[in-house]
Amino acid sequence: MLPEFNLLTPQTLAEALDMLAESAPDAVPLAGGTNLIVDLRDRRQCPAVLVNVAELAELRGIRQENGHVVMGGGTTIAEMLNDPLIAQHAPVLQDAARIFANPLVRHRATVAGNLVYGSPAANTPPPLLVLDAEVELASQAGVRRVPLDDFLVGVRETACRPAELLTAVRWPTPAQHSAAAFRKVGLRKSDAIAVLNVAVRVTQRADGVCEQTRIALGSVAPRVIRARAAEESLLGQPLTETAIAEAARLAAEATRCISDIRGSADYRRRVTEVLVRRLLTQVAGEVK
Amino acid sequence: MKYTAKPLPKVELPELRQVGKPLRRVDALGKTTGTTVYSGDFTMPNMLHAKVFRSREPSARIKRLDVSRARALPGVVCVLTAADLPDARLVTDMPGQTGQKRRAGSDAPVLASDVVRFAGEPIALIAAETLAVAEQALDLVEIEYEPLPGVFDPLAALQPGAPVVHEPDNVVARWKIRKGDVKAGFAVADVVVENTFRVPFIDHAYIEPESGVAWMDGQDVINIRVCTQVVEHFRSIARAVGVPHNKIHIQGTLLGGGFGGKEDITVEIFLALLAKHTRRPVRLEYTREESILAHSKRHPFIITHRTGVKRNGRITAAEIKMVSDSGAYLYLSPYVLLYATIAASGPYRVDHLKVDSVSAATNNPFTSAFRGFGAAQAAVAYEQQMDEIAKVLGLDPLEVRCVNYLKTGDRNATGQEIKSAVWLEEAATRALEALGEKTPAPSDAVKIGQGFASYLQSYGRITWFHDTSRAWVGLELDGSVVIRCGVPDLGAGQINSLCQIAAEVLGVGLDDVTIYSTDSALTPLAGTTTATRQLYMSGNAVFHAAGAVRESLLERASKHFEEPPDGLDLAEGRVFVKDDPEQSLPLSELAAMCAAGGLPLANLYLFKAPFTSTLDPEGLQGDVFPDFTFGAHAVEVAVDTETGEITLLKSVGCHDVGRAINPAAVVGQIQGGSAQGLGYALMEEVIVEEGIIRTPSLAEYLIPTAMDLPVTQAIILESGSGVGPFGAKGIGEPSLTPAAPAVANAVADALGVRIPDLPLTPDKVLAALDRAAGREAVGAAACETDDDGSEA
Amino acid sequence: MQPKVVTLNVNGRQHYVALMPNVTLLHALRDLGYTDVKSGCEKGDCGACAVLLNGAPVNSCLVLAWQADGAEIVTNVGLGTMDRPHVIQEAFADAGAAQCGYCTPGMVISAKALLDRCPHPTEAEIREAIAGNLCRCTGYGQIIEAVQLAAERMSEGSGE
Repeated sequence: MLPEFNLLTPQTLAEALDMLAESAPDAVPLAGGTNLIVDLRDRRQCPAVLVNVAELAELRGIRQENGHVVMGGGTTIAEMLNDPLIAQHAPVLQDAARIFANPLVRHRATVAGNLVYGSPAANTPPPLLVLDAEVELASQAGVRRVPLDDFLVGVRETACRPAELLTAVRWPTPAQHSAAAFRKVGLRKSDAIAVLNVAVRVTQRADGVCEQTRIALGSVAPRVIRARAAEESLLGQPLTETAIAEAARLAAEATRCISDIRGSADYRRRVTEVLVRRLLTQVAGEVK
Repeated sequence: MKYTAKPLPKVELPELRQVGKPLRRVDALGKTTGTTVYSGDFTMPNMLHAKVFRSREPSARIKRLDVSRARALPGVVCVLTAADLPDARLVTDMPGQTGQKRRAGSDAPVLASDVVRFAGEPIALIAAETLAVAEQALDLVEIEYEPLPGVFDPLAALQPGAPVVHEPDNVVARWKIRKGDVKAGFAVADVVVENTFRVPFIDHAYIEPESGVAWMDGQDVINIRVCTQVVEHFRSIARAVGVPHNKIHIQGTLLGGGFGGKEDITVEIFLALLAKHTRRPVRLEYTREESILAHSKRHPFIITHRTGVKRNGRITAAEIKMVSDSGAYLYLSPYVLLYATIAASGPYRVDHLKVDSVSAATNNPFTSAFRGFGAAQAAVAYEQQMDEIAKVLGLDPLEVRCVNYLKTGDRNATGQEIKSAVWLEEAATRALEALGEKTPAPSDAVKIGQGFASYLQSYGRITWFHDTSRAWVGLELDGSVVIRCGVPDLGAGQINSLCQIAAEVLGVGLDDVTIYSTDSALTPLAGTTTATRQLYMSGNAVFHAAGAVRESLLERASKHFEEPPDGLDLAEGRVFVKDDPEQSLPLSELAAMCAAGGLPLANLYLFKAPFTSTLDPEGLQGDVFPDFTFGAHAVEVAVDTETGEITLLKSVGCHDVGRAINPAAVVGQIQGGSAQGLGYALMEEVIVEEGIIRTPSLAEYLIPTAMDLPVTQAIILESGSGVGPFGAKGIGEPSLTPAAPAVANAVADALGVRIPDLPLTPDKVLAALDRAAGREAVGAAACETDDDGSEA
Repeated sequence: MQPKVVTLNVNGRQHYVALMPNVTLLHALRDLGYTDVKSGCEKGDCGACAVLLNGAPVNSCLVLAWQADGAEIVTNVGLGTMDRPHVIQEAFADAGAAQCGYCTPGMVISAKALLDRCPHPTEAEIREAIAGNLCRCTGYGQIIEAVQLAAERMSEGSGE
């Protein structure tokens, strides 16, 4: 059974923020519950108050706004998977969503929950990182925007403060000559926690020279990380086999892997290189 | 290589009306409409809720146990510890209902008293008014442990000076086979091939966790509604609770899966004790985590094969060593080891054979029955060894097997003559033919491999257990049929098969048959649903009971029609004259005539397996099993050599089932059993570190999802040669056995290098490739089994 | 912690039940007698407890009953009965898709959700749709067959 707690059900975002503020730091928002309820059951978290934000209209919806895609924090993974705007502007996110846990979980799990939980193995941070996403954090004090890269701190640690709610994720609509890809290695084909996952995005000029590169690595460090040295190594270069191999090597160097029941540190580091190489090769082909 | 199916020997099987048809199972619609009630679905008025307090330590002395705070919690009705239950021990002996002698020291305490031997061992029982209170009371149990040295590796446990789990030493069982002259056999060998293979702990992972409800009635009988594979445990429970056998009544439910994990006693003993002490109904349901902690595991084995072969592949001698991890308590480990020992050399004629096996006690989770029962672990080793022999000799794996396959009339490892059909080559060539050409690799990094495995697996229990089953079959006055049989149905279609058999014999439709099953007091005892024995044992019991009813009916009808009984037949609910089917009567009228004449309309039949004596332990030569099933499984895999990921592309199982009572159910067994074997090969492992399970739930203990498995093509062969009804053999366990080694062989084919330890994780794939390339191996994950390189 | 009366609309029937906030929808439904909703892991790993929540297939073990206040809930028994089985339930029975049957109610719910939005699924789509429902008995072959059979029968029934 679950431990005891009080469950508050606000009708509006403002009400939710008041409730969170009132009970901070012992209050946590509850949306899909696919992480939180499991944690409650396992006694990994024992908050006194849950604020049920699952039904809040302010957290829903995916729209375009001033050259950005804005996705409500309460968007479920299933909604993300079926959304035409995401299909058009961030198919890489759908690649990650498609193998997110399992279909039953996808109908409950939200993007905010996935980010706030701070798991280094989570599926949505790598694609969102390569999209240069920012998160919107609302509290009674107002709304602040934090780049996702600054938001992710460590294992189950984020920049989200007590009484803050992740209300939206936003990213610039990617340029025309941009292509992205995602790949996860798990111990089975569905419903597996990532042994590691990788997302890349590359923007190339017409002559094939790389203008912008993003490489994000999951489950190879205490948080999902950007492989900056690898990204920079490709700038101003065409995506040749050699350049890609070097970037992949640098990406693997950026990892700080541990061994656990899903795989060894060496395995993770080594396959990071493989996946980065493969994904860069794939997008190089796609952009052209 | 292209394989062509070997032509089948000509077999004429009689055309039957009910048997052999893929009919919708009698339990199907109840299950698909959510109507079927499982053990966890029962509640009782005024019911208490139980929880079990378990050890967190794998090896410790209990310095202090204080349940006074738990007892004092409002709503707590009863807390029991070992102090309240002197002499309560769990007797889970293999012979079960047959009254054979138990092995000394085989009993685990119901609740640990002074020492705990594995993490998860039960220490106290709590019954409370609500589940929430019972859970709170768990937190109020005070315990202090003094850690004791533990032993967590079976090889280490066998070393002198190892911590002893049970006095006098950690050897819980040894078996040996001595057949022929091994020395002479090796002397004539051209090549000797030696390899060691390992398999891990496996969880049954049935989707239904253990659960039950118990209550005492007006006759002081403790009634227990529970999901169990063995209603005959009522005797062990009676002994542990301290009541006569006739005061325990097990009302078994349809199981939400068993696979051997509900073969030993689970919740029912706790329920019985709490019901007796509180005199109130009590319910206990394990969480998934508790299920994984509390029930047995499949034994890890370390198996070394040393095989002498001629250049043409003929085996001249084999020496096999096996070590299994029995965990903290004995349970069925000696028998699992025995099955493994007898199956060690596989479905091959080995005239000079030496097998030495030992099971070691450790402070790991206890191990016991799991579909395949030792023979599955044996197959993982012997079938990889056959491929390795082929590789060393430069021969095709099928060719090596064909020169060694047993044939009808040959003798197996214990010298038992195989009397039924042995369609090993027929099965293997069909599986390989169906697999077809290799799928082209999508890229250079991906390698495609194909592999297969053959097997023999017994069905029916060891014949020195003197196994019996009973069934009652009766015709009601309206022509409907009733079966009463104690068989537990695990989901494999056990009760349906019995209904189809009775329908066949009595000439009615499947809808006309109702079965009452799985009750230790109200249905004739049919023995355990284990050892692939129910179709053979209870199928025969029903066949003969129905046959006796049929005889009685035909005798009466013979007078009516003035025709000899063999000129009459029963079909479609009528009796009729064979040569003139217009002359007929509905069974209801015939039943009425019999009833009026005082003739029996029912029969209780006791079916006995062959009874043999125990074998000389110095060599294990003689008859051990009623018969064997033979077949093969073939798979194709794609291995990503850069990420180590393995994808199953094709899977084919081909088995001689003797006679398929219900072909759709047989397909279900072949697909479902092999799915467990494929999971065994690729992803399943209960990871245990220093006695602690690191895969405590289904988030860590991974079984295949619908995305992981291709549909296994099931090829059913029917030799009609089995000892079951209508010539049937068993398929429950055999369906699993060859799947895992087939995958291992396919992966070895893809990579050109073998990974000798299951499961074949991505990590191990890359490490194996490194070894093959002479590179330094990828560091094994910290969690992996410690390999000290020593030999079994 | 205080109880609250919540409205659970289950299979077209309204229940008003006083529940504590920490009760999951799974337990609330089973306590109401909907024991076709099975408990297998209570962590969203097995799918045995799947129900339709406002039309979406979810694990009822990961939903608090209060979160389902006022929602439309459909469990397997809400689809059909032994007398009048739903096409999917009938197809599962006919195809031999239920062995032990413990995963079946949840599996049928996932199949229903799939066929509602995608009447002619490919094998891959079926596999994806049931990937959250673990089955330990069948190897999924006859389950996939059952969903295909149900899809065929439904399209015949609708005159397509």
